Amino acid sequence: MTSFALAWRTAACYRMRSLLAMAGVAIIGALLFDMLLLSRGLVESFADLLNSSGFDVRVVAQEGLPVLRAPIGEAARLASDLRRLPEVDEVTLVRIEEAVLTGATGETRVSIIGSTRSSVRSAWTLLKGSDLPDAATPSADACPLIVGRHLAEARAIAPGATLTIRISAPHRPSALPAVACRVLGIGDFAFGNATEFAVATTMSALAAADTMRPGDEADLVLVRSRAEAGGRAAARAIARVRPDLHAYSNEEIVAEFNQNGFAYFRQVSIVLSSVTLVFTFLLVGTLLTVSTNQRLGQIAALRALGIGRLRIAAMLLWESTVLVGAGALLALPLGGLLAWRLDRLLREMPGLPERLHFFVFNSGAVVEHALLLAATAVVAAGYPIWLASRLPIADTLRREGVG
Amino acid sequence: MPAIVEAKSVSRVFPMPAGPVTALSGVSLRVERADYVAITGPSGCGKSTLLHLIGCVDSPSSGAILFEDRDVAALPERERSRIRLTRIGFVFQRFFLLPMLTAAENIELPQAEAGVAAPERRQRTRELLEYVGLADRAGHLPSQLSGGEMQRVAIARALANRPALLVADEPTGELDEETGNHVAGVIDRVHADGTAILVVTHNNALAARASRRLVMKSGRVLP
Repeated sequence: MTSFALAWRTAACYRMRSLLAMAGVAIIGALLFDMLLLSRGLVESFADLLNSSGFDVRVVAQEGLPVLRAPIGEAARLASDLRRLPEVDEVTLVRIEEAVLTGATGETRVSIIGSTRSSVRSAWTLLKGSDLPDAATPSADACPLIVGRHLAEARAIAPGATLTIRISAPHRPSALPAVACRVLGIGDFAFGNATEFAVATTMSALAAADTMRPGDEADLVLVRSRAEAGGRAAARAIARVRPDLHAYSNEEIVAEFNQNGFAYFRQVSIVLSSVTLVFTFLLVGTLLTVSTNQRLGQIAALRALGIGRLRIAAMLLWESTVLVGAGALLALPLGGLLAWRLDRLLREMPGLPERLHFFVFNSGAVVEHALLLAATAVVAAGYPIWLASRLPIADTLRREGVG
Repeated sequence: MPAIVEAKSVSRVFPMPAGPVTALSGVSLRVERADYVAITGPSGCGKSTLLHLIGCVDSPSSGAILFEDRDVAALPERERSRIRLTRIGFVFQRFFLLPMLTAAENIELPQAEAGVAAPERRQRTRELLEYVGLADRAGHLPSQLSGGEMQRVAIARALANRPALLVADEPTGELDEETGNHVAGVIDRVHADGTAILVVTHNNALAARASRRLVMKSGRVLP
C-alpha cells in the first residue's frame, strides 16, 4: 500500500474533517484564483483591445497618452512620409471631436471619430447597414456615419436615418453650423461603452464639419507595421524620421500601463493572494496538526512496528496534498463563477470600454494557482511531519496509556 | 541456546521537572528462541519500560540491550526500525489497528514496508488470518470487529514478517475474561510454532501460561 493510498484512505475515513478542509481550501483557493486572474486579466484584456484595432503603433504629438491630445499638423504629409518607411504597411489619420448630435429624439453629446481610411473600421464591428466608404472611393454622402450600438439603442437610430451634427468641443468656443449626416450603419465600437456615446465618419467629413481647426490636422496616427518588421521596429523607424513626435508600439503602451496604470490592481492582487495563501496554510496546517495529535498513539504504534519515518512523513504530506488538491480543483469552477460575477460588477464603472475585462481566464493562472497551492500544502504539512517523525515512541505509547 | 535479546544491567531514568525518576534499575534479562516470558508486577514497577527497551523503541540510560548480539543503542534509528520491522512483532493493549484499513490491509502494511511482493503478501495475509481464525473477516474494518477479533488481527499483523520475538504489552487488558483466554490461546500457539514471546501483563491466567515468569517491583526484577 503506497503512502498516497494510505493518505487517501485516511481522508476518506475522517470524512467530515476532510470535507470541511476541502470546502475551506475551495473557498480560499477560489479567491486566490480570482486574484491571479485579476493580476494578468486587465493587462491582457487591454492588450487584446489595442490589437483588435488592427494597428500596432500609435503616433501622438505629446509624450505619454494624454486625454487632450496636442494636434499633429500637416498630417497628410506625415502619413505620406510614414508610408514610405519599409517597416510600415498602412497609416491612418484619426481625429476625435466632441459634438452634439440632433435627431428625432432630441440632442445627445457624442464623440465623433474621423479617419482617413476605412480600414480603421476594425475599431468597430458592423452590426447593421453598410460600412464607411474607403478614402479612395468617392462617397455619395457628404457626411456618412457609423453610429455606436448603445447610441442607436438609446435614440432608436437605424441605418438610413438623417442626423445633424454640430462640433462642440468643451475646451474651445464654438459657433459652428450643424452638418446633416446620413447613418450608413450601426457598429459595436472596440472602446465603446454604455454611458459615453460615439459615432464615426470619414476624415474629410469631420474636417468639413469642424472649420475652426485646420483641415490637415490629426490627433492620432495609427500605423500597421509590416509583419516581418513588427511594431517596435516600426515605432523606432518613425521616431528616427519624426523625432518631434512620439511613436509607441502596442507592447510599449501595455508595458507602460502595466507599470503605472494597472499597478494598483497588481498590488491588490499580490496582497490578497498572499493573504489567501496564509489562510490556506493556517487552515490545512491546523487541521493536520490537530489530526496528527489525535493519532499520536497510532503513529507511535506504527513506528514500533517498524514503519519508517519517511513512510509516515510521506503519508502526512500526501494527506495535505489530497486535502489541498481536492479543494484546489473545486476552487477553479468556484473561482470562475466568482470572477464572472466580479467582472460584471467592475465593468459597470462608468467610462470603461465595454470590451475591457478585469478577469480573463488563462492557463498560466491555472498553473500558478496549482503551484502556489501545492507549495502551501507542503509547507502546511511541515509541522505535523516534524511532530510525527520526532515522536518519542516509548513515551508516546506510555502516555497513550498502553502500558 | 543463543539469545534473541539480552538486557545487561539496564537502567532507565526519566528526567522530570520535579527531578529524575528511575523506572528501571540494573535489570538483566535474557530471552532465548524457545522462551515464553511473562513479566508481572504492580502498575509503575517498570514492566512496560523494560518491554520498550527489549522491543528497541527506547534506549537505556545505562547498561546495554543486545539484539541478536548487536548493541541496539549503537545502531542508527533506521537500523533499529529495520529490526522492529523484521525481527520483532509488537502487540498493544489498545490494538492500534489503522481504522481506515481492512483487517487484511492492516496485516499487509508491515509486509509492504519490508518490501514483500504483492502476491506473497496476499498469500501470507490469508495464512495469518486463517491462523488467528479470522479468514472470513479479511475485508472488515476494525470498527466492524469485536475487541477480541481486533487483538487477533493485531497478533497476525505482528507476525506478518515472521519475527523472532513477539512482545505484547497487556494484550488482554482491554478484553473480558473469555475473550482474553481466546487471545492467550493464540499466543500459546505462536510460541508453540517457534516464536519467542515476551508478555507484560496483570492477567495471572495469561502469565501462568508462560514458561518463565518474572515479577517486578520498583524497577527491579524480584529474585
